[in-house]
Amino acid sequence: MLKRHFREFSVLGVLLCVLALMGVFAPDFFAPQPLLSRLTAAAPKLVVACGIAVVMVGRQIDISVGSLFAVCSVVCGLVAAAKLPLPLAVASAVAAGAIGGALNGALVAGLRLPSIVVTLATMVTLREGLRLAQQGVFIDLPDGLQWIGLPMIGGQYLVCGIAITVLVAMAAVMRHLAIGRAVHAVGSDAEAARLAGIRPRLVTFGVFVLTGALTGLAAVMNVVQSPQVDPNTGRMLELEAIAAAVVGGVAVSGGRGNLGGVLVGFLLLACITPALTYIGVKPYWDKAIQGTVILLAVVADGLRNRKNGR
Amino acid sequence: MFRSFALFLCLGFVLLTGCSKSGPDTGASPSGGTPAGKRLTIAFMPKSKGNGYFVSCKQGADQAAKDLGAELIFDGPVSPDPAKQNEIIENWITLGVDVIAVACENKDGISTALKRAKDKGIKVVTFDSDAEPAARDFFVNQATPEGIGNALMDEAARLCGGTGEFAIITASLTAQNMIEWQKYIEARRMAKHPGMKMVALRPCDDLKDKAQAEATTLLGAYPDLKLLMNICSPAVPGAAEAVKQAGKAGKVKVIGLGLPNENRRYLKDGTTDTVILWKTVDLGYLTVQAAAALAKGELKAGATSFKGGKLGEFRIVGDNILLGEPFKFTKENIDQFDF
Repeated sequence: MLKRHFREFSVLGVLLCVLALMGVFAPDFFAPQPLLSRLTAAAPKLVVACGIAVVMVGRQIDISVGSLFAVCSVVCGLVAAAKLPLPLAVASAVAAGAIGGALNGALVAGLRLPSIVVTLATMVTLREGLRLAQQGVFIDLPDGLQWIGLPMIGGQYLVCGIAITVLVAMAAVMRHLAIGRAVHAVGSDAEAARLAGIRPRLVTFGVFVLTGALTGLAAVMNVVQSPQVDPNTGRMLELEAIAAAVVGGVAVSGGRGNLGGVLVGFLLLACITPALTYIGVKPYWDKAIQGTVILLAVVADGLRNRKNGR
Repeated sequence: MFRSFALFLCLGFVLLTGCSKSGPDTGASPSGGTPAGKRLTIAFMPKSKGNGYFVSCKQGADQAAKDLGAELIFDGPVSPDPAKQNEIIENWITLGVDVIAVACENKDGISTALKRAKDKGIKVVTFDSDAEPAARDFFVNQATPEGIGNALMDEAARLCGGTGEFAIITASLTAQNMIEWQKYIEARRMAKHPGMKMVALRPCDDLKDKAQAEATTLLGAYPDLKLLMNICSPAVPGAAEAVKQAGKAGKVKVIGLGLPNENRRYLKDGTTDTVILWKTVDLGYLTVQAAAALAKGELKAGATSFKGGKLGEFRIVGDNILLGEPFKFTKENIDQFDF
């Protein structure tokens, strides 16, 4: 167990070190209410990171999730602002995400185009299209939407609970179900997978649709946290999600990675910025430290691959 | 490889055609509607037509044109688009308007077109955001960095009673205008409000959600914090929501540079105390007044003051006509504004 998941456990070790340091130097970091608020604010990113991790295991990449997240947020906001029922707002956001994912999937799997280029194109097109349509104007949401009408604490537990549920469900699917193993197989060697009776292009298509739908769900989880939708939301989200997956040990070259690692990588990156604020470090260091963590993770993977002769 | 190249071409094509076709029909329905005759024709261009900020500038511009009996042509890109701005300027040159007033999306991009207009004898003023000085006669400057810095710091000190900790949320650590504002905020603090202490500066990448997260962290990390000063517009509602959710509304004050609509609910429920900007209606009014005076030869280079119609005297420094002190949106006056 320890040996097989050495990579994930080493990141967990770093995370625990950071938390221990915070416990010594800034115990306020663990004060329950701001902590719950911070976790709730970050929870949607975890859901997106789960989707990205699955895409990466399938040896693809999706850099359009940030733009898609904004589109889904605006769709959710507009449907809710039109006084349509709440479940419809949620469903339309998830559907918008799935449609965006299906577009990516169709172009990548159907036309065999490289996913980095396809999703670069959809990233730019969706973001600029949204700018044209919405002109950067905030959408005011009706009163019942924030925290889905629950008291704030209840809403926060709900959002965090959904994130954990998605993570656990995805982990189970990837590990125990045939479809999850098919994604691993396609990511390791698509041709071998095909010979084993898997349809790689269908798997790839499905993986993009799933990521899109999860992005839509994440957008809803974010929208309910405030009474207004900022149409610029989700900028750089794709990088944060990919970084969480990479730090958590998901291989960019496909075929390897698990969602427990993604959770640890996500938590490590998510706690760096607030931790630096708590100990009063100048903000100029944030990105440098996050970049260093990502670099270390990639270097560790590179060394390991060399040792394994891959 | 060929496929990805083809895709790039497609993408480029989509973006290009998107730009050139998104524009409005130029020269449509000038507000007067009467034959031009000897009436002064003033062409007025925002960065983008639909933007509420510029719509409220237009209110003032319309009023000034009415006061002056001039014809106002209002046109601009649907969304901020430097190429489209140039195209409209070229049309106006062909049309032979008397004076052009423009809020420039891209300083370098538009200056060539504006210089060409000047060569044809068309007067040029800029407002909101400037072109190169050589490309226009005057810039109607809505707020100097010093004015903004002083207004923010004075308001912070007033709300905190002169002492206490505050934190600044900015867009990015590299945004030139915000670095400039911070310089004046700090200078004012040292000179006038030494009891105030700035404990943290956090970037929010110009995103409301990120500002909310940053503010939540700041409230936890600095329990004695008395005020959050937000110097980019999405940060003001973001910080207000964080303060509200932390149950600290009223205890931690929120101020910033922002737009009335985004902050309306927080001003009304008392979470946000003051939103600072300028009077956009007056900006439009003054711009058209200055444009008309310039075209009539009443306003010349070197002037030190200018009478802007019903608004009275304005100061001119160099070739900048100053709109004056920033304006404070509060619970009391917020209902008069919609942008």
